[in-house]
Amino acid sequence: MKLDTSGLESVAPVWGAPGELVDGFAAAPSFELPNPADFDGFQKEAIQMVKPAKGTTTLAFIFKEGVMVAADSRASMGGYISSQSVKKIIEINPYMLGTMAGGAADCQFWHRNLGIKCRLHELANKRRISVTGASKLLANILYSYRGMGLSIGTMIAGWDETGPGLYYVDSEGGRLKGMRFSVGSGSPYAYGVLDNGYRYDMSIEEAAELARRAIYHATFRDGASGGVASVYYVGPNGWKKLSGDDVGELYYKYYPVIPSTVEQEMVEVEWEVEVEQEMVEGAGA
Amino acid sequence: MSIFEYNGSALVAMVGKNCFAIASDRRLGVQLQTIATDFQRISKIHDRLFLGLSGLATDAQTLYQRLLFRHKLYQLREERDMKPETFANLVSALLYEKRFGPYFCQPVIAGLGDEDKPFICTMDSIGAKELAKDFVVAGTASESLYGACESMFKEDMEPEELFETVSQALLSSVDRDCLSGWGGHVYVVTPTEVKERILKGRMD
Repeated sequence: MKLDTSGLESVAPVWGAPGELVDGFAAAPSFELPNPADFDGFQKEAIQMVKPAKGTTTLAFIFKEGVMVAADSRASMGGYISSQSVKKIIEINPYMLGTMAGGAADCQFWHRNLGIKCRLHELANKRRISVTGASKLLANILYSYRGMGLSIGTMIAGWDETGPGLYYVDSEGGRLKGMRFSVGSGSPYAYGVLDNGYRYDMSIEEAAELARRAIYHATFRDGASGGVASVYYVGPNGWKKLSGDDVGELYYKYYPVIPSTVEQEMVEVEWEVEVEQEMVEGAGA
Repeated sequence: MSIFEYNGSALVAMVGKNCFAIASDRRLGVQLQTIATDFQRISKIHDRLFLGLSGLATDAQTLYQRLLFRHKLYQLREERDMKPETFANLVSALLYEKRFGPYFCQPVIAGLGDEDKPFICTMDSIGAKELAKDFVVAGTASESLYGACESMFKEDMEPEELFETVSQALLSSVDRDCLSGWGGHVYVVTPTEVKERILKGRMD
């Protein structure tokens, strides 16, 4: 069978005379795949080797003023922390952000690819692409690679003509529209804080503090999340990075160490031990 | 993840000049989830002998209770405390008894022997003793700990300097491990006193 790799191809082919190209695309390059008895299973070993656990915490939510996006910055390989300073919020274009959970290479590549497709749409249609459209483009690409071992759990957040937009897209081909999402191994803990503190009419500062605290609580409880809690805001003029706080310091900011007062102090006391008298009494009895 | 990485742990013991230090992290987890941040991994057998147990927490607790029992019996019979070398032999024998169904623990034993000479040793889960003159490590962060201790260790450190070295080695190693950390617990033992200190670490 032939695998369609048009998504991987760069748009301007080096070969071919300019007149031959009809609408800018030549025949999609492809390569042969083997025909084994167990097509779904034969790649499993390779997939398991490449498949990293979605060890991370990312979240995004829509509120009155726009979209708030936040993530931690830890990359882990099993039990080992490979990095504490990974950028998990990817800037697709000046008014759209994507979050990274799952395979770092997969997320980085396909978000950049999405950025390219969005720009092409702008040039072809003389208007910006909507968040709905962008997330659909990504979801369709990921669906065509379903079962091949891509590991992506991403949220596309942006501001378009209809206002703030937030979609969850994953490598199984799922795409969901919503107001609040959290993705990754730390997401249950982040949901706890986020769902409890969420109100639609929050100011930007309140929303940023809620996002920061949700990520912080997830890094405390989840072993695979940690490092720096980054918070981004997407408004009508595009996205803006609001803060990047080291969660090691955030703990002592939220729970400062109060030196305990000494309740009992040991003091030197002089005692006289009367031994001789007791011995004499015992002998007498 | 293996059974040894189920709860997560980090232990290190280091020798100084007529003193020793034994330190552990404080996290108790269930795979990636953190349950407690004040878990005691190091226990006192007597004033000059400390035992740290890494690995599966339930086996660590049971093993500690069994060893304390055996030491109390020894105290009643011999009317004195056990020497660290003797205690290490006891632990090794107890672990090998369960050779075909072992305790999933790696003990670290640290004590002051005759003439206040510090003694440290570690074992694998079936009792293979590893004596060392400088430092021993155990737990999920053991590889990072080996590197940190190897570079920071110096011979004949005084108690205060030893404390600093052990603390830095422990904290920098657990910062590279998802399954251990959330603070530190250090005991520095000299012939005259035992100093117990809690370290402020990264809580992520």
